[in-house]
Formats: sequence, C-alpha cells, structure tokens
Amino acid sequence: MKATIGLEIHVHLNTRSKLFCSCTTEIGDKEPNTEVCPICLGYPGSKPKLNRKAVDYGMTIALALESIIEPEIRFSRKNYFYPDMSKNFQITQYEIPLSSGGYLLVGNHKIGITRVHLEEDPAKLTHVGGGITNARETLIDYNRAGMPLVEIVTDPDIESTEEARAFLEKLSLILDHLGVYDPTAEGVLRVDANISIEEGNRVEIKNITGFRNVEKALNYEVVRQKSAMNMGVSIVRETRHFDAGSGITSTLRLKEEEEDYGYIAEPDLVKINLTEDWIGRTKVSMPELPDQRIHRLEAQYGIPRFQANILVHTGLQMSEFFEESCGLYDDHREVCNWLVTYLLKSLNYEGLSLRESNVTPETFVEILELIRGGTISERLAKELIKDYVKTGKSPRKIVEEKNLGLLAEDELREVVVSVVEEFSQAVQDYRSGKSKAVEYLIGQVLRRIRARAAANDVRRLVLEELDQK
Amino acid sequence: MSLIDRVRDLDNKYCFMNAFAEDESNGEGLLKGYAVSVKDNVCVKGVESKAGSKILEGYIPPFDATVVAKSRAEGAAIIGKTTQDEFGFGTFNVNTSYKVPLNPYDPKRSTGGSSGGAACLTAVADFPHVAISESTGGSISCPASWCGVVGITPTYGRVSRWGLIDYANSLDKIGVMAKTVKEAAMFLDVISGPDEYDSTVLKAPVPDFTRMNSVEGMRIGIPKEYLGEGVDPKVEEQVWGSIKKLESMGASISEVSLPHTKYSLSSYYIIAMAEASTNLAKFSGLRYGLQKTIEGDFNQYFSSVRTEGMGDEAKRRVMLGTFIRMAGYRDAYYLKALKVRTKVIEDFKKAFKNVDVLAAPTMPVVAPKFDEIAELEPIQHYMMDILTVAPNLAGVPMVTVPCGEADGMPVGLHLMADHLNEIKALEAAQGVKQE
Repeated sequence: MKATIGLEIHVHLNTRSKLFCSCTTEIGDKEPNTEVCPICLGYPGSKPKLNRKAVDYGMTIALALESIIEPEIRFSRKNYFYPDMSKNFQITQYEIPLSSGGYLLVGNHKIGITRVHLEEDPAKLTHVGGGITNARETLIDYNRAGMPLVEIVTDPDIESTEEARAFLEKLSLILDHLGVYDPTAEGVLRVDANISIEEGNRVEIKNITGFRNVEKALNYEVVRQKSAMNMGVSIVRETRHFDAGSGITSTLRLKEEEEDYGYIAEPDLVKINLTEDWIGRTKVSMPELPDQRIHRLEAQYGIPRFQANILVHTGLQMSEFFEESCGLYDDHREVCNWLVTYLLKSLNYEGLSLRESNVTPETFVEILELIRGGTISERLAKELIKDYVKTGKSPRKIVEEKNLGLLAEDELREVVVSVVEEFSQAVQDYRSGKSKAVEYLIGQVLRRIRARAAANDVRRLVLEELDQK
Repeated sequence: MSLIDRVRDLDNKYCFMNAFAEDESNGEGLLKGYAVSVKDNVCVKGVESKAGSKILEGYIPPFDATVVAKSRAEGAAIIGKTTQDEFGFGTFNVNTSYKVPLNPYDPKRSTGGSSGGAACLTAVADFPHVAISESTGGSISCPASWCGVVGITPTYGRVSRWGLIDYANSLDKIGVMAKTVKEAAMFLDVISGPDEYDSTVLKAPVPDFTRMNSVEGMRIGIPKEYLGEGVDPKVEEQVWGSIKKLESMGASISEVSLPHTKYSLSSYYIIAMAEASTNLAKFSGLRYGLQKTIEGDFNQYFSSVRTEGMGDEAKRRVMLGTFIRMAGYRDAYYLKALKVRTKVIEDFKKAFKNVDVLAAPTMPVVAPKFDEIAELEPIQHYMMDILTVAPNLAGVPMVTVPCGEADGMPVGLHLMADHLNEIKALEAAQGVKQE
C-alpha cells in the first residue's frame, strides 16, 4: 500500500531576540516566565515589532530550497482560543507567505515545497497529572512565547516513513549549514505530519518533536490505518495527537470540529518589501550548502568522496573542524583518516557530539604531530585518542603524564637485557633450537613497555642480545 | 488647593475621571505648568488603565504609552485617566460600567464619546490643561464638538500608538484636545513623530504646528454629502456662519463631492469590528485584569470571565466581528470593506487635489439628552458617526473647532485636510476662532 505524506516543519530560528520583541531566544535552561516582556505576554497597549533578522534567516532557508521569495510580505492574525496563546491569536503569515514553491532532493526524488513562512511560537504548556486531554492542571511558560519560527510546508510528495525521515535529516543538515538554528536546543524542530494511505482520508498528526518521533508516529499511523482498512473500517479525516512516551497516536479532534481561524491582516505591522536588493544581498552572503561543501572538500583537500560525505553529514561543526585542522597540519588525507576513523568513533563511543566534547583542532593535530615526530606509536595514538575525547586534555600532556612516549634505543635495550636475564629458560630453549622462544621474549618486553616501541625494534634488539650471549 | 484636589472637585461634579495619578511634578519643557489628562485606554505606568472596561479592572501597565512618556519629557504633570465608552465602543460615553461624564453645558446631556471624559475635563478645567484622547471613528471630534473644545485627530501614523489599548488598530489614532487651537497644536507637536515601538508610525518630519498662516488664499471645499438631510438646520446655520467668516478672511469656498460617503459607515464598522474582535480575544482573565477562581476547563473559565467583564456593546462587536471574519463571509464582508476603504481614500485624495481643507459640521446634531439616547437602537448610535467615520476611515487629519451654539449647546466645525497636512486644518480652525 502506498502512503502519501506531507510535512509541516516548524523550526526555531536562532536569532538573538524573539520575533516581535527584544527578549532573548536563549531560553533553554531559564526559569519559566523570566524571559518575557509586555509584547510577548500580549499585554494591553503593547505592539509587535518585527525582527528583520528573522526575515533574513527565513530568506536563506527559502533560497536553499529554491523557493520563490515574494516581493511584498505581510503578517496576519490567526485567531483561536488556547491557553498557550498570550493574545489568543498567533501572528503568522497567511495570504502571502515569505516564499512559495521549491523542492528538496532526497536521493533522486524531488520533494516539492509548498511554502515557507514566518510566525511566532506560542507559550509552552506542561500538563501536570495526566496528558493533554486529562491533566489535572496545566502550567504555562511564556519564555517560549514569541520565539521566531519558520514553517516549511511540503507538498504531499513523500512516499514512505523512511523517506520522511531522510527528508528531515537532509533538511536539518541544510539548516545547520545555513546557521539558522541550534540543533541541540530542546524542541527546536516540531513537525505536523499529514498522512493518507491509498485512497483513504487524510489524517493530521500534530506537534511531533524530533525526527525519530516523526518516523515512529508515521509508522504507527501506517499500521493503524492499514489494519483498519483490512478490517473494512474507513479512516476518518481527523487531527491526532502523538504521545512520545507510549508511541501511539490518538484522536484530538474530528474534521467537523476544525477551527475557523478568521484571519485578518495584522494591523500593527506594515508590509515589508523584499526588494531585489535585499534578496541579492542575502544570496551573496548565503553560506555553503551541504552538497556544495562535499564537492569542495573533495577537490580542495584531495580526500575521497565517501569521507567528505561522512564529514559533511556528521554536521557543519565536523567539516569545519576538519578544515581548521587542515590549516594546522599539511597531510590532509591523514587528518581526514584520523578524524573520520578514530575521532568520530571515540565520540560515538562516548555518546558525545563534537560540540559537547572539549576537543579542538589545535589539540587534535597534536596527535598527528606526535606520530610524525616519532614520539608515540600509531597504536598508542589510537589508545590515547579515547582519553583525549573523554577529557579534552592536550595529547602532548597525556603523553607526558602517562609516560607514553617511545623509548630511546638505550632505554629499550635496558629492558631487553633485563628480560633476557630474567627468562633464562627461554634463552636456553632458543639456543637449543626452539625459535618460538624468541616470540615469548618479545612478548615479555612488549608487556613491560606497552606500546612505547615499534615491534620491529624490539625484535631486532632481542635477537642482538641473544646472539651476543 | 492642590491641582489633584481641584481635579477631584471638578470630577465630583462632572464625573470624567476613571483613575487619578499622583504625579504633580512639573519639569522644564513645552508642557511646564500643564496638567495632562490621559484617556483611559492609553497606558500610564503604575496607574490603572482599563479602557473603561471591567475586564481590565486592576490592570496596572508596567510601561508608559509613548505619548505619555513624551508628555512627561516636556514637563507635564500626568493627572489621571479620563472616562470613555468601553474600549471606545460608543458615541455618548454611556457604554461603560464606570462613570458617565456629564456635559458641562447641560448635565442632562451626553458629553459625546468615546473620549467623553477628556472633552468634559478640557471644557471645565480652570487650570492649564491638555488632554490625550483617541479616535477610531470620531471619538475625538464628537465629544470635543459637543463640549465646545478643540480636538485634533492627526493623520493615521503621525502619533505612536505604543501603549494604546487597541480598538481597531488600522483606524486608531491618538490625538489631543485643548481649549484653544494654539494649545492643541503645541501639544500635537509634543506627541508626534517616529517611534521605534510602533511600526505604523510614519517617518515624515513633523512641522511646527504652532506656526499657522492666515487663511487668505486657502481653498475650502464643502462636501455636499455632509450637509442637508439628517443635519439639524440649527447646526448647519452655525457651520455656514463660520464658513462665511473664513471666506470673508480671504478663503475661497467651493462645493466638492465625496461619492463613496454612503458606504463608509458600513465599511468602517466592518473593519473596526473585525479588528476589535481579535483585539479583545486576549482578555481571558489569565494574566491581568479581571480574574476569577478557575473552575472547569479553559473554555469555561475564560467564557465566564468575559461574560462578567464585558459590556453588551463589547459582546455585540465580538460576535459581529467574529462573524465577519468567518470562512464564507470573510470575502463578502471583511475583504469587501477593505476595498471600499480604498475607494473612500481615493475620494479624499481626489478632493484634496482642488482644495486644501474640507469643512462640514462635526456632528449632525448637538449633544443629545441621556433619556433620548436610551431610546436609540444600536444602528442609530452608529448613524451618529456618519460625518466622522469617512475621514477616520481614510486616515486623514481633522480638527473640530467650536463655531457657535444651537439650543444653548456648542456646535463644532469639522476641518479635514490631506494626509500629513494637519497644519492646513489648524490654520482654518485658528481662522474660525480669530476675533
């Protein structure tokens, strides 16, 4: 059975201030209702004032999606009563959005973009003692009220839940590269998903947070709708709520109960002309998009496509880290190898993102310098990188503190001599023709010095020692 | 006697104040020595500002409206909040659960509205005073003319609305009242000009409104739709008298036509109610104003607060305004009204190609008695605004100036000018008052 999916994605823009007032957007760990003012609280007498930076950000998103920017935009009031609304209307865009049309390629499949528009976020509700329908009480945090949102609406072009997830991953990568959102902030990306199966009615699932949940919610709906159809039950057109905890969707309201939003133009905000000049300036200052970046990294640093792909898809910070490291160390392939193979692996193992860890390009290239300068072995370097990722300590320091540097030849010879003296049985065995005894002795040396010498050097010195005696 | 005590004394007699401010300090500036009263719907920091509505009872704004801040900066003493119809919904200042001001010329009559308290106080003040008032469809001109004072409704966008408790944002204009044209012009200068807190304020430079030329050579147009049927002949007589006076001073008089006048009332009320119904939605008893014990769900709670806190006229406008915006009616009413508004603006633009100022009666009748008002249907209330809504809808500036009496009650001459051309209307008004 074929699924038809359309998404409405709401993204918090990381402008410094909210969409219509000067309150900060850095509300992550703030006490509820502390980052508020008369405007975002909708106090009588207050008026919105548009943050033009949000328009800039919205424009770069529209341009990245090949969406056509409208020459003149304005805002509207979307009217409905809900406790998260400080004014009981939301300032959004209705008749004329920021941009229309466009697409995003997922694999070879073009997913059409219907529109991109700006709007304010409502307050955050916390339901206490139950869910959305049966909570004993509901707390309101207006810190989120007025946060700048961009809404990206797709055409119903998405054909599977996997494709929906792939679309969102690609979109978020683009947003990351544009620098218009903070991927680590809580609830930064919220999705309403429309899904229908075969000829069935369209069902909307509201307010899903995070990609994994989008995929989960859609999967649940596919199964629910399929089994309903198999049982001969028809799917009704409705809006459903997804509960992330239980992973299931439930009816929020039926089509007949849909609100009539009674839109009017927002009379406190004037029309905004998005002049050719303004659009042109935005185009010029557009950051590099992921696909462009992959091609450039490949060409500029001579690294293989698959590695460039990994660097870019890991997130903007990773490829920036790579480029900065290349500025500090001239063997770019080596930088890339160590980054993609070992640093990334250790980060994943620790469950850290680059952002969360304390590693820096300066300290990272120390590892490569230590290997090249003969201070540590590659094997030890691979060990050391784990410590480095965990602590963020300078690798040079770690080598000093843990005494991991390669031994000088005379130091190594001392160890060899003492091993040969201690394991006289093995020496005798060797002399009596058991060549395997050499391996035993080498093993003993390596055990003492761990990886502070190359295995070949150890073998050479052990043989020299044995042949002398 | 202190200033505030004197205001209280007068208020005991005329009922024009909703709240008193303790501000008696007078700094340096253009308003040094002046008391400034503020219509209840304009926020004054720390002073209850409820726009004449019970649902906002107890709302103490944490900020000053821009016009209040500008007044303070020029040394004004802010004395308090003047009465009005609830949210400005009315023509007689009787649609309120608070005080109903009495006309200084006859206490059995209305001051007019919605800025009734401002007009009343301006008329009776025996100390230097100017009033911050506000008009959406005639709320400055109407009471000013009925109380015999000067009222200026500036061009839409001339004065910041930051701090105004909205009625219909695309129509609301903060303006002034004073005893003399000169004082009103001086005060308009104080409060005009760009403001970063209101995006709809025009960037145009503000001229010195007190530098008024004579009316010699001024071209004055009389809109034929504004005289005749519906206008009390005794009012018309006074109006013609003052027009003749201006002519004798060197102005030329001609008849003009504003053909879309008959549609302006419907267009005005549709737009005003549509916007008002969205503005009033925020009053849900959650963060400020009237609050009750929370019982039932959100819908039940805010409905009960609104049932108790809003008067009949407010409820009527919420219902009509919501209906106008509903899918299926929006195109026929709201969007059409916006188109009509464009036509009305074109009427004025065309007229102002040939004349500098339009002159007409401000109100078709003198202030009615309260017992007459009680007999009126809502539609008859709305009809009272027939002469003031078109210029308000068009956003052109207008000045009402006393021009005589009929039945012992003051009559106002309405002088309208092109956008940003307040000075022309002021010059004509000054001409009328000239000895």
